[in-house]
Amino acid sequence: MPLVRKPPSQAPATVASPAPIEGTSEQRWAAVRDAAERPDGLALLADALSREGARDGDPRVREAIFTSLARLATPESAAVVVPYLRSDDANLRTGAIDALRAMPLACLSHLPALLRDGDADVRLLSCELARELPDEEANRLLCELLERETEKNVCAAAIEVLAEIGRPEAVPSLVRCAERFAGDPFITFSLKVATERIAAPARDRQ
Amino acid sequence: MSEVEPVSPEELRAICEFLYRRTGMLFTEAKRYYVQRRISDRMNALGIAPFRTYFAYLRSDADGEVEKFINAFTINETYFYREDHQLRCLSSDLLAERVRAKRPGEMLRIWSVPCATGEEPYSIAIWLLENWPQVDVQDIEIIGSDIDTQCTAAAAEGEYGARALMRLSPQLVEKYFVPVGKDRWRVVPELRQSVQFSSANITKASETRQHGIFDVIFCRNVLIYFDDASRRVAAENLFEALAPGGFVCLGHTESMSRISPLFDVRRFRDAIVYQRPHAGGKGGGSNG
Repeated sequence: MPLVRKPPSQAPATVASPAPIEGTSEQRWAAVRDAAERPDGLALLADALSREGARDGDPRVREAIFTSLARLATPESAAVVVPYLRSDDANLRTGAIDALRAMPLACLSHLPALLRDGDADVRLLSCELARELPDEEANRLLCELLERETEKNVCAAAIEVLAEIGRPEAVPSLVRCAERFAGDPFITFSLKVATERIAAPARDRQ
Repeated sequence: MSEVEPVSPEELRAICEFLYRRTGMLFTEAKRYYVQRRISDRMNALGIAPFRTYFAYLRSDADGEVEKFINAFTINETYFYREDHQLRCLSSDLLAERVRAKRPGEMLRIWSVPCATGEEPYSIAIWLLENWPQVDVQDIEIIGSDIDTQCTAAAAEGEYGARALMRLSPQLVEKYFVPVGKDRWRVVPELRQSVQFSSANITKASETRQHGIFDVIFCRNVLIYFDDASRRVAAENLFEALAPGGFVCLGHTESMSRISPLFDVRRFRDAIVYQRPHAGGKGGGSNG
């Protein structure tokens, strides 16, 4: 039989990592991946992200940093990622939102501030993070946003999430939002769909 | 089976979190029946009740209970030549590309992870012996790995029922198996000796790194059971385990593009696979 069976693995054991922000791309990649298991990992990853987040940073290393921060999944590791939601670099923004989405409960303490952020894009992206939260928290946060939000795209993002996870208590906030955007056909349509979807299970239970 | 009292929502959450931390497999209340059944099986097997006593037993890992508990959650049913379009892609496109990237005489390495009870790595071996003309001149190492050590032990034994062999022709069954009882067949010794089995959790870099670097990885129908963070970690572990230009084949419902931007998508005639970019970064992934 021409296939080869070799003795049990010949690969080298895990090698101790170099300092995470030095060396070649390969070394930095390996180091940031291991950082999530180091006691000083959070600080190392924050430092590494500030370097790799620069224009000449390595996207692959950056991705591994986001993954390691998501593995830590603490409010502190989420805090390292949050500022990158405001990056001018679209890839970095996407990496940040994906990382935060992978640690939903760690984002919980940051979401009230994010949903009040001065940057409408940050508020919009943060609506998506609420989708991963327990329903009660998500409904409360998104309804609060709907009561005050003036940007229709942000409202649309919140409505889309509520259409999936909304509870009957969200309906009054949706109705008031509909009144504020009465002249906007897209928002009006989205609100109609969301309120119908939320009402349907309650109606079915009766 | 004696009746085990259903776990409370809090108890379910606690044991699911325990399982998640150990394996990356995520279960919630929505999978209550599936989880409850496995808890009940373990409690009945041990004669332990109530749940809190079993959970304490599990957390203390008494008599290797953690491994037995994890084994109860892994999906092990599969069969030979499952999703054989990927095997066609392997022999018609992937291996030729990998051979071109190698020095003369350098071995090709293929990893089936998770391999369950061995149907996939043996299928790869049979497929190549039957369909890849270079099989006689190219050294190929095939490794099957799984988190479930009972599975890898069964894989090494190589004994299967009719259901596992349903997609193999009678000629292939006759050539590569010997009957060992009513509706039972065993892989011939030469083939069993051609495939190596080991234990590996693909969310643990320390375990995947021990297996070295591969040209092609089959990692099918497991990432769907992981949550986002574990999927990302697993994708990075697979990336790290591939040679530059190496390929990973996922299950037909899975998409690496939704998990990680690290890989290039390659569309071949028979399958879509994901490729670790060649040295120098992404960009080598035009259509195959």
